[in-house]
Amino acid sequence: MKKRAKTIASVGAVLVVFLAAFVLISMLLQPKYMTDLEEGSFIAEYYDEAGGHDVIFLGDCEVYANFSPMELYRNHGITSYIRGTPQQLVWMSYYVAEETFRYETPRALVFNVNAMRYSEPVSEAYNRLTIDRMRWSASKAGIVRASMSEGEQFLSYVFPILRYHSRFDKLTEEDFTWLFQKKDNTFNGHQLHTEVVPEGTFPVRKALPDYQFAEVCYEYLDKLRLLCEENGTELILVKAPSLYPYWYDEYDEQIREYAGKYGLSFYNFVERTGEIGLDFTEDTYDGGYHLNLSGAVKLSRYFGNILAEEHGMADHRQDPEISSVYNSKLQAYDETIEERMRGQDNEKNE
Amino acid sequence: MIINLIILIVGLAVYAGYGISILYLSAVTLFSWLAGRLIPRHRWIMWVSTVLLTLPLLFLRVQHWLPRQSVLAPLGISYFTLQIIAYHADLYRGRYEPEKNLLRFGLFVTYLPHIFIGPIEPYPSMRAALEERHIDGDHFLKGSVRALWGLFKKLVIAARLGVIVSAISAKPEQYNGAYALTAMLLYAVQLYADFSGGIDIVLGVSRMLGLRMSENFDAPYFSQTIQEFWRRWHITLGAWLREYVYIPLGGSRRGKLRKILNTLVTFLISGLWHGGGYLLWGLIHGILVCLGDKCRTKSRTLNRIVTFLLVSLLWSFFIWPDTFTVLRMAGSVFTVFNYNVLLAGIGGMGLAAGDWIVLAGACLLLWLYDWKSRSLRARFCAFSPAAKVSVLCLLALTVLTFGRYGFGFTASEFIYSRF
Repeated sequence: MKKRAKTIASVGAVLVVFLAAFVLISMLLQPKYMTDLEEGSFIAEYYDEAGGHDVIFLGDCEVYANFSPMELYRNHGITSYIRGTPQQLVWMSYYVAEETFRYETPRALVFNVNAMRYSEPVSEAYNRLTIDRMRWSASKAGIVRASMSEGEQFLSYVFPILRYHSRFDKLTEEDFTWLFQKKDNTFNGHQLHTEVVPEGTFPVRKALPDYQFAEVCYEYLDKLRLLCEENGTELILVKAPSLYPYWYDEYDEQIREYAGKYGLSFYNFVERTGEIGLDFTEDTYDGGYHLNLSGAVKLSRYFGNILAEEHGMADHRQDPEISSVYNSKLQAYDETIEERMRGQDNEKNE
Repeated sequence: MIINLIILIVGLAVYAGYGISILYLSAVTLFSWLAGRLIPRHRWIMWVSTVLLTLPLLFLRVQHWLPRQSVLAPLGISYFTLQIIAYHADLYRGRYEPEKNLLRFGLFVTYLPHIFIGPIEPYPSMRAALEERHIDGDHFLKGSVRALWGLFKKLVIAARLGVIVSAISAKPEQYNGAYALTAMLLYAVQLYADFSGGIDIVLGVSRMLGLRMSENFDAPYFSQTIQEFWRRWHITLGAWLREYVYIPLGGSRRGKLRKILNTLVTFLISGLWHGGGYLLWGLIHGILVCLGDKCRTKSRTLNRIVTFLLVSLLWSFFIWPDTFTVLRMAGSVFTVFNYNVLLAGIGGMGLAAGDWIVLAGACLLLWLYDWKSRSLRARFCAFSPAAKVSVLCLLALTVLTFGRYGFGFTASEFIYSRF
């Protein structure tokens, strides 16, 4: 009896060590998304910040680069967070929204409709940037199932070692430095870009064989709308300003029709660049695909007016609890901007 | 009984997933069972059944010589056909009674773990395995370790070597001479790791289910002659050929010349079993077996090296698609001297430095294991449960980390599941 107990204990101890080694190796082999491909870390930054936001943004790079929650607060006192990730497709936005509602119920959910043009997962790598760092829940299971491209397996999202084992000979200093720690790469989901790369040249605007959004996109847009309705949250549709990829009039018509049918607000900022005051010779960091800080400041001020005036978003600047949190964030935000500007100046001088 | 039924149903369900082959397998199983029951009273049925069972296999093996090649082989046909022919031949000889229980017979033919790559299990040993089935923690543990060792060979070694061999064999015009020799040597290791790895998985999973099945390999690359090699490589096929081809032909009992002839016929059939394009391969092996000890030196190491080189050279028939290319590539080893560019060329074929390091370490481990397999197995059996679990966990982590599998890697079938 005693011998049997000893055997069970020793086997148990071995299994515990194995499990620990398994977890450690899995963690080591997974990309850390801290300095390289930092966009992969955005989704998880939210968990430390969850709760208390009046506005949540959903969408692809056009949201996390173009809008600044810090500016929205500074100018209008609106509390917001961007849950944007690279190439976030409509079904991804739906599941991210579903997950968000587990943590909080914002007054408005702003969805960037650029994703409506994509009916299929673009690539496994993009899926990973959105999904890898999500916390496990029914929403994550849903997003994995909806997003998997050919050759992907659900199990590899449960056990990342099944996907990343081949990184064993590609580990860098980042993998060890950020093994047990993390840092924020955004300010409430906004990826800060202070550099300026003026408007570039883009492919000729060609007519497409078919402009109709796919059924699957409408299916998830419907689900997103119903989810918002169930939670008493207003769904606001936007098209963030960019020069490329082209936002066709045919796309715009479909969104306007949808918004009209369900009484949703839709703001196409591509056609309002003049009103916003955007100048693509200085307000973009990559030649016109995305806005830089200067552009995000202008757009956020413009959109802040809309949110406050047309959607009645409250000004929280006088709320001591909120203002103490946001003021310290603003301080860090301003310091980072100053530091980056200084860095850029030094580079220029060199 | 219930476990047997579950194994049978699960096996058939998985097999059904591969398409309509399940119809052929089911028909053959039922036919063979009925024929088997009749053979003791109507011995001629054995000849009819042997012809009927052999014809589809023969057709599949020579179909590439025919103008139209549209017939897909039912999975595992080479293995279950040989098992059934042996069963019927044994009944013909009155070695044992026919199996009355269709479930047990069905399991003998369709037992999933071995249907794709063997081992070719004789009926008495399969029946004994089913009757003596015993599931316990120790068997489960040993079986798991064996299966993981098989996965290690397949995913860590064979999958990496496959990258280089495929790259070389895809461009015979460009990669000849030193490249061809490298492909032959690497393929020898790849095939062994792949095939014996698959068998380890079969035997390991069977052990986990409480079944002991026949070994198919015994460190074949440590053989000192080709004759010895064939006693240690694909043992169950060798045993089948000896029992049901070589001995019925007269074996060594009818004089030297007849022995040579019987050996050559047996190896020609072995070649044909692999496919119509392997006849020459079988014949050369037959000739080398007939030569026997004549080329043996006093140095064991030298004998082993020579045998390994000969076997590797002959694996060329498995690397390149046709006999003409095989002969051309084998010839280029002696006529094209491009060794100076070999390292640089192979370096750019898809394996990173880390892969080569893992490969070298894994091959060393495989070599050491084969060298000391008996003592290592005995030592493992004497381990405490905790030590056995440690080995299991270590193997699992190694395979998970260093295996080539999952997204971004092309899943490759076991080489011998083609035959």
